[in-house]
Amino acid sequence: MNIMRLAGLAVALVVSLLFAVFVGDQGPWYFAWVVGTVMIILIAGAGAILLDAQDEQTPEKEI
Amino acid sequence: MELINPDVVDLSRFQFALTALYHFMFVPLTLGLTFMLAAMETVYVVTGRQIYKDMAQFWGKLFGINFAIGVATGITMEFEFGTNWSMYSRFFGDMFGTPLAIEGLMAFFMESTFVGLMFFGWDRLSRPAHLAITYLVALGSNLSALWILVANASMNMPEGAHFDPDTMRMQFDSVVKVIFNPDAQAKFVHTSVAGYVSAAMFVMGISAFYILRGQHKAFAARSFRMAALFGIISTVAVITLGDVLGRLDYEHQPTKIAAIEGLWHTSKPPFEPWLAFALPDDARQENHLEIGVPFVLTPLVAHSFDTPITGMTELEEQAGPHIASGIQALSALRRYGQGHDPADLAQFRAHEADMGFGFLAMRHAPGQDVTAISAAEMDSVVRQTEPDILPNVFVTFWSFRIMVFLSLWFFAVFALSAYVSLTNRLERNRLLLKLCMWSIPLPILATEFGWITAEAGRQPWTVFNRLPTFLSASSHGVGYMIFSLAGFALLYSTFIAAELFLMFKYARLGPDHGAHGAQGPHLTVAHDRKDAFSIASSLSS
Repeated sequence: MNIMRLAGLAVALVVSLLFAVFVGDQGPWYFAWVVGTVMIILIAGAGAILLDAQDEQTPEKEI
Repeated sequence: MELINPDVVDLSRFQFALTALYHFMFVPLTLGLTFMLAAMETVYVVTGRQIYKDMAQFWGKLFGINFAIGVATGITMEFEFGTNWSMYSRFFGDMFGTPLAIEGLMAFFMESTFVGLMFFGWDRLSRPAHLAITYLVALGSNLSALWILVANASMNMPEGAHFDPDTMRMQFDSVVKVIFNPDAQAKFVHTSVAGYVSAAMFVMGISAFYILRGQHKAFAARSFRMAALFGIISTVAVITLGDVLGRLDYEHQPTKIAAIEGLWHTSKPPFEPWLAFALPDDARQENHLEIGVPFVLTPLVAHSFDTPITGMTELEEQAGPHIASGIQALSALRRYGQGHDPADLAQFRAHEADMGFGFLAMRHAPGQDVTAISAAEMDSVVRQTEPDILPNVFVTFWSFRIMVFLSLWFFAVFALSAYVSLTNRLERNRLLLKLCMWSIPLPILATEFGWITAEAGRQPWTVFNRLPTFLSASSHGVGYMIFSLAGFALLYSTFIAAELFLMFKYARLGPDHGAHGAQGPHLTVAHDRKDAFSIASSLSS
């Protein structure tokens, strides 16, 4: 099962690399959109989790 | 070829502009909110905290209102190409129809199928499966925009096609060139990310409303922070991609760039000012009341300090030889159509690149027939046609400036909001919260003016340098156009009124009221009792 999972991840990695090479070469702004959107989502999510952490430290603080 | 009544052309343009601008009041929220929902649900899946599920469900409900009312408004535009722009569709349908068909088959189906699963699958799907569905909705709605913008870019920068003199239309050559057209890439990212800005301001503004009223504070604080961070990065990306689009226009649509900058005469680098204010006078080809910032225009447009930017007067003069060459192309094409003589075809090929300028000269040719222009009349026809290559400078200049000034405003509001939220001082900054609230409609306004800049700026062409707008419309009667225009205005205004009514209603009711799957006022936290206490206490305060 672990080998299958590893193989699956390896295939996903290869497909991602091929996607990155092709789209990065042919359509740099499309590639930027994919990477940028993921980054925006992650930073927005991190901000929310940071707020949870701030709440835990000082539960009665103002927002 | 007979010219179409100019009133019908103007009414066709006005009808398309009206339906497109109405449609685009709904689109940005759909593009951006889906990814904001995905961000909220990602946090829910990662942390397991109920509040993020409530957030995804509440904002998802507002997205649903926008989606249900807004999506249909775009479909009419696809029919308008056939009803009101039949000459254009005949000439360019092979190119334009392909991305539209892909959009219908792929993006619409993908988007609408997964939207149903997203709304009704909360209790039927596992958390990761539902999250994947939400991402697919976001991807589907943005892919829908991608194909529309690929189609739009093929009009602005025709690549991957050639004109066939036997069929008299543009024919498809390369799908890769069409999809990876630089204008399509930049325009897609610019438009998609402008949708992110609209959604972020929407979420931030409504959250600010709750904070100002002391309602749903834990919910609002998290929504506000996520939206502020989402918005500030998106605004930077919008401005960056706007610069990329400007650079592309500088290289491929110099008349648009000159009109955007109100540049009647070739610039003198590096001093040439960027005009923050001016009143362009199209008739006299000059500006009134210029207020500019020196040394900014050249690096902004040309990305250098010593490159002159060609002004509209000089662009008109440069168009003269192209107009004369275009007239020869059309004359050769007419002869080739009658006799299929290879010599005529060869002559057409020699002037083919300027064919569009020949079409442009038709309005000034005797009997609108360029083949009837005598050698003595040629110079006069060319001179009369030259000013026709320019768009409406006043509209292009000001629509661009409104968009730019608004985007700078968004940058300031998002940056300040992110800072205040990260330092937990939101409640102390009531003025900022009010500004956020009143800024909700501004990103949508900015995208509308962005479209006006792009589309008014590329006039007089529907297909740039290939087919003029005045040759693209259908030959309807004026009465028919006024009747259908009034019908669209009435119908779409009803849609907007319904959307605003529902949005206001459900935004005022807040997340506690009947949210799909929401757990009433108990914004409990699944894994953390301390958090649950803090949220409950903040709710009751």
